[in-house]
Amino acid sequence: MGQFVQFAINGVMAGAIYALIAVGIVSVYKATKVVNFAHGYLIMFGAYFYFTFSVIIPNQPWAPEWLLSWQPDWLVAQKADLPMFSPMGAVLDWVSNLPRIVLGLTGALIANAIVGRIIERVLMRPLMGQSVFAMIMVTVGLISIMSGTASLIWTADAANVPFLSPSAPVKFEAFGTTIFLLGTDLVNMVLALLMFAAIVAFVKFTKGGIAIRATAEDQSTAYSMGISVPKVFSRAWVLASTTGAIAGAILATRNGISPSLGLFGFSVLAIVLMGGLDSYVGVLIAAMTVGVLEAMTQWKLGGSWAEIVPYVAVLIVLIWRPHGLMGQKEVERI
Amino acid sequence: MLTIENIEVTYHHTVQALRGLSLEVPDGKIVTLLGTNGAGKTTTLKAASNLLALENGEIGEGRIAFKGQSIMTVQPDKLVQQGLFHVREGRRIFSEMTVEDNLVAASYALDERKAKADYEKIYDFFPRLKERRKQIAGYLSGGEQQMLAFGRAMIARPELILMDEPSLGLAPKVVEEIFDTIRRLNAEDGVSILLVEQNAGVAFSVADYGYIMESGQIVMEGDVDTLRNDKDIQSFYLGVGEGDERQSFRDVKHYKRRKRWLS
Repeated sequence: MGQFVQFAINGVMAGAIYALIAVGIVSVYKATKVVNFAHGYLIMFGAYFYFTFSVIIPNQPWAPEWLLSWQPDWLVAQKADLPMFSPMGAVLDWVSNLPRIVLGLTGALIANAIVGRIIERVLMRPLMGQSVFAMIMVTVGLISIMSGTASLIWTADAANVPFLSPSAPVKFEAFGTTIFLLGTDLVNMVLALLMFAAIVAFVKFTKGGIAIRATAEDQSTAYSMGISVPKVFSRAWVLASTTGAIAGAILATRNGISPSLGLFGFSVLAIVLMGGLDSYVGVLIAAMTVGVLEAMTQWKLGGSWAEIVPYVAVLIVLIWRPHGLMGQKEVERI
Repeated sequence: MLTIENIEVTYHHTVQALRGLSLEVPDGKIVTLLGTNGAGKTTTLKAASNLLALENGEIGEGRIAFKGQSIMTVQPDKLVQQGLFHVREGRRIFSEMTVEDNLVAASYALDERKAKADYEKIYDFFPRLKERRKQIAGYLSGGEQQMLAFGRAMIARPELILMDEPSLGLAPKVVEEIFDTIRRLNAEDGVSILLVEQNAGVAFSVADYGYIMESGQIVMEGDVDTLRNDKDIQSFYLGVGEGDERQSFRDVKHYKRRKRWLS
């Protein structure tokens, strides 16, 4: 039972990150009806930007020393008294990394927002009014462009990036076994869920959200009612790329950085289809389900099965409900 | 209020929908535009609200001016903010959103005018919408959906409404209600209206002036009274017989029934 809880928690933590990635795909789909196949590569850019701003720049000779490792007197004094491997030590390590984490996150957010805006402005907007299929094909083309560009820019070996939060281990007893978690994973989960909730609340309850939903349903009517559709488009892309930047930073600390990070987007695309392309709630449920299923198969059947079983579940759900768990079917008057 | 001069519109660079159409909507008047299916009525409205670009349409020649200023380069959302509202064919309400959210969406039109949306006014006008404000708009009846479409237009406080077949698919009784609303909008708020209709009878009952169009051109225009007494109009739009004696369909050659002003 204790093992079960351990793996369930692991699954939920992975699911939260899937959900954060999925938000980007759903937001772009809701506003523009475009399924963004290149979202995984936006995340990869986010990860690389985080790496650039939190590792490469602080290591430059011209960068101030405190940026790489902040060591104020009180920190050094406190560190000296600590025993090895104490949780407090992890927190203090984190504090001295704090400047470059902040620089890394803000840098990744801004840079990725710019990338998202450029994609929308240069590639998507000229296609407005054309068939959506054309735009979807453009996102497929973007995959090659983005993975190629990434390997051109970031030739350096990706070193370790700093964790977003202290990586002190958290231990507690449940059902007679010790549950072991990393503090940073917990914080990542909370961060991902908070961002998810904020976005859902924005779309559901604010006027800006109404503009997004109106555009999603009928572009030209929204346009003819004073809603600036191009603005809604570019906001959706910026939203996708900024949430992607955070997700990228989290993934970079968990799995390291490589160009194959972009492939992650495809497994999340499957999750999004399972949840329903335009339903945040459905996607959250699907992300959690896949996360937990993955953890459980890993526990019972081993790692090689973990990549297959959840996606078989996705297929079954899609056969049973082609619109996904909570995808919107068109409202029909009876 | 609105002047359209000699416009030509082509879709996909090949299909010519309008060929040199001109019309004018004076301040505070209701002008109706009649014509058969495919004559180009909806295209005219879309040209005036600048929605053609979204459908691969293009205005080749001519000028369109709203309140004396050319609209050719103004984005549709900016046009609404200047006071031109287009109630589109088939109502086009946001069927997956609630009635209230539909109205809020329309309040974007007020953004640049720093005016506040007056929802109570709409609910006073259409009490039935108030009862259903939390309902999903797609489940409203056809008449209620048309009311909602009007409500959205009223939220935006326009000076000119382009109205595309408000009677479409509605029972005669509901049509009457809708046209009462049009009359009220015009009389109480002084809104100018360009009304596209298939139902010439009701259109003439509210309008001041009328245009008849065919194959992308205006073929006839005049005061509503003049039009109503015109023989051809009576025969082809109002369904009044041509003579006093009863005619049998056997005596009428089919091709004769099709009047063409252009040959």
